[in-house]
Amino acid sequence: MPDTPKFDKGALAWTLPWDDDWVTAVAVLGPTRRVAAGNNLGQVLVWDLPEKADAPAPAPVRRLDGHTNVISRLLATADGRWLISAGYDHTVRLWDMSASTKGTALVVPDANARAAAKKRGKPLPDAPVTVGLQQAERVLEGHKEWVQALSLTPDGKVLVSGDDAGRVIVWDVPSGKETRRWQVKGWVYALAVSPDARRLLISERFPLVYDPAKIIATKLWDATTGQVVRDLEDVFKKDYQSAAVFSLDGKLVAVGRGGEVNGPSGTIALLDAATGKKLHELKPGHEYGVTDLAFHPDGKHLASAGRDTVVRVWSAADGKLVKELGKARGGQFKDWIHAISFSADGRLLAAADMAGAVQVWNFPA
Amino acid sequence: MRPFCSPREHLSRRAFLKGTLIAAGGATVPNWGGLFHSSGVAAEAKKSGKRCLLLWMNGGASQIDTFDMKPGRATGGPFRPIASNVTGLQVCEYLPRMAKMADRLAVVRSMRTSEVDHPNGIYLMHTGQRPLVNVSHPELGAMVAKYVGNADSDLPNFVRMGPTGNGGAGFLGPQYQPFGLDREGRLPYFTGPYASPEAEQRRDDLLRFVEEGFAQEHKAEPFEAHRLAKEKAWRLLKAKSAFDVSKEWPKHKERYGDSEIGRGCFMARRLIEAGIPFVEVGQDNYDSHADNFVTHKANMNVLDPAWSSLLQDLHELGLLQDTLVVWMGEVGRTPGINNRAGRDHFVHGWTVVLSGGGVKGGVVYGSTDADGKDVKDDPVTEGDLFATIYTALGINPRAKHFVGSRPVWATPEGARPVRAILS
Repeated sequence: MPDTPKFDKGALAWTLPWDDDWVTAVAVLGPTRRVAAGNNLGQVLVWDLPEKADAPAPAPVRRLDGHTNVISRLLATADGRWLISAGYDHTVRLWDMSASTKGTALVVPDANARAAAKKRGKPLPDAPVTVGLQQAERVLEGHKEWVQALSLTPDGKVLVSGDDAGRVIVWDVPSGKETRRWQVKGWVYALAVSPDARRLLISERFPLVYDPAKIIATKLWDATTGQVVRDLEDVFKKDYQSAAVFSLDGKLVAVGRGGEVNGPSGTIALLDAATGKKLHELKPGHEYGVTDLAFHPDGKHLASAGRDTVVRVWSAADGKLVKELGKARGGQFKDWIHAISFSADGRLLAAADMAGAVQVWNFPA
Repeated sequence: MRPFCSPREHLSRRAFLKGTLIAAGGATVPNWGGLFHSSGVAAEAKKSGKRCLLLWMNGGASQIDTFDMKPGRATGGPFRPIASNVTGLQVCEYLPRMAKMADRLAVVRSMRTSEVDHPNGIYLMHTGQRPLVNVSHPELGAMVAKYVGNADSDLPNFVRMGPTGNGGAGFLGPQYQPFGLDREGRLPYFTGPYASPEAEQRRDDLLRFVEEGFAQEHKAEPFEAHRLAKEKAWRLLKAKSAFDVSKEWPKHKERYGDSEIGRGCFMARRLIEAGIPFVEVGQDNYDSHADNFVTHKANMNVLDPAWSSLLQDLHELGLLQDTLVVWMGEVGRTPGINNRAGRDHFVHGWTVVLSGGGVKGGVVYGSTDADGKDVKDDPVTEGDLFATIYTALGINPRAKHFVGSRPVWATPEGARPVRAILS
């Protein structure tokens, strides 16, 4: 496991502009310095980050084509070879990042900013970027609805996906085949698979209001049998949980409350993964809701993102706040950080900023 | 200016009997509710046997995410359009059953209305009129109850359930007030018996005697409104089996969907069958300033089976040709998506859908621009919409009422029915 970096010295290393639409997903590809991000339009771009944190922000190098709607999740295998994407086009796609690209295209990652500058009478010189194009190696088509949730075991062998029709599918990644599927009552909102692939935490929703037909549920499941092990209604009451992740040793599971909530009610709970008992509640919660959670590769820290533009780093041992990255931005309601991802060495954290950028934070050793 | 009719005129029995006035040109003078009204106007409407059903999308449904989609545009959002059974008419992918009913729908895509917030917008889209300090306009349901309803029926003429309007009977008077069911479609508590039928009858007669005496000394409309409501409730007790769908609902639950709107639509069907001329069913949570796509998706999941089953059943029962079904909310929603993944209130180009009696099916009226930011063709105001609805129901949209000496027409000045969608 990598050493714990100096979180207190964490600083924004690069802002990678990409303002075609909201950036909704991000993944750092394992030990490489490659970052992939997805957006509301179904586009995926890839950047190669410089070695030095004070180097200029890089341009994208690759575009992954195929998705036709919102990219909801991006994950990478630990070796950085495979990128896995999920989207509202009902597909999950596997991308071989060691493969060569075929063809090129011109992209202007900051096209909207340029248009705005031109309107203000201060046009910027044209700077289209040539990117290589790539298609997915494999398209998994077992879903018939928006795929909102995706989780991967650290060994990269077992992938679990969940959709808005309540379908949960367990995939064998090397073969791309389903190994098991079952149906939950609500839409799958947050989903996390344990490192040994035996446990799943699934939160469900059917977000009607004032209608008894609505569904709110968070449960621990046996991934090998598709049976509920523990209903966590006593822990989470009637709150929607929007993000979940198991710790690398499988002993903890972090769960974040989301959907839009009032004020700083986007709380995060650290649970004992075996029993579901709440060990810590991490405060302050994210204003207006949590969007993503990620354990640091050191196994001792957890990062969270939410609908308040801020990323927070917490101690998993005692639930205390270690570092806050960024500042809230916006009016009464703040811009979101949609997703976060640590590099394999834990020195970088990428964040998907809805304002149209990928933030890359650097933590010195 | 003469004030409203004096309480003495309202409450005197002689005033009741004198309440019939002969008027010309469809004018009626509400004797605080028009118990007696222009026989010409009412008779014409009643001959038609029309009914009206309002599906009220509380909070304001998003037109771009339902019936006026903008695929590929920055305002379009993640929903995808699907073809309907009308060439050229696409609807949201989450209304698949309604897509198969499109040949029964008149989709008005060019609503441009004048009240942007909820309370005034709800009033506006229930009355067709902007709120005024000194005039209380009647809701559509009250107008239908007056002009199309049957005053001798034991069943109420205006029934509603779920989140609905806020105007009530207005100047038409308390006997046109809505009769409300709860969100589950259950009758109010006071329709349940407290005692044996004989004891109930003696209690009711005693109450009438006491209230008559009270009314002689205390002349105020709220007391009379309460008394009327009680009278109506007693009559309703004789006919309340019309509201009991407990035996039938299990057979239809799967088709309509076991949701509040599903049950509401089924109840509405049964009440229309029973002859109630106006039923309103509200569905909540369209006010999606945040998470617009998630909430609309969930709402449409339950609306689609409910609405389509309702139309199908009305058609198969031979009732749809005489029942105007109106689908609308108080506002539309912005084409722009805010940083809460929401859409805010919008009145410059939104959609209302009509179907059934008096309107053509399979038509689209009006249009918005490429991004849905404004009406492009054939704007329709709230007044125009109500003129259309009244015309479809056989009610004169320029029927004139008086509040005191002030004339108030059924629709605002300049309102015109949209003839292109009337059959």
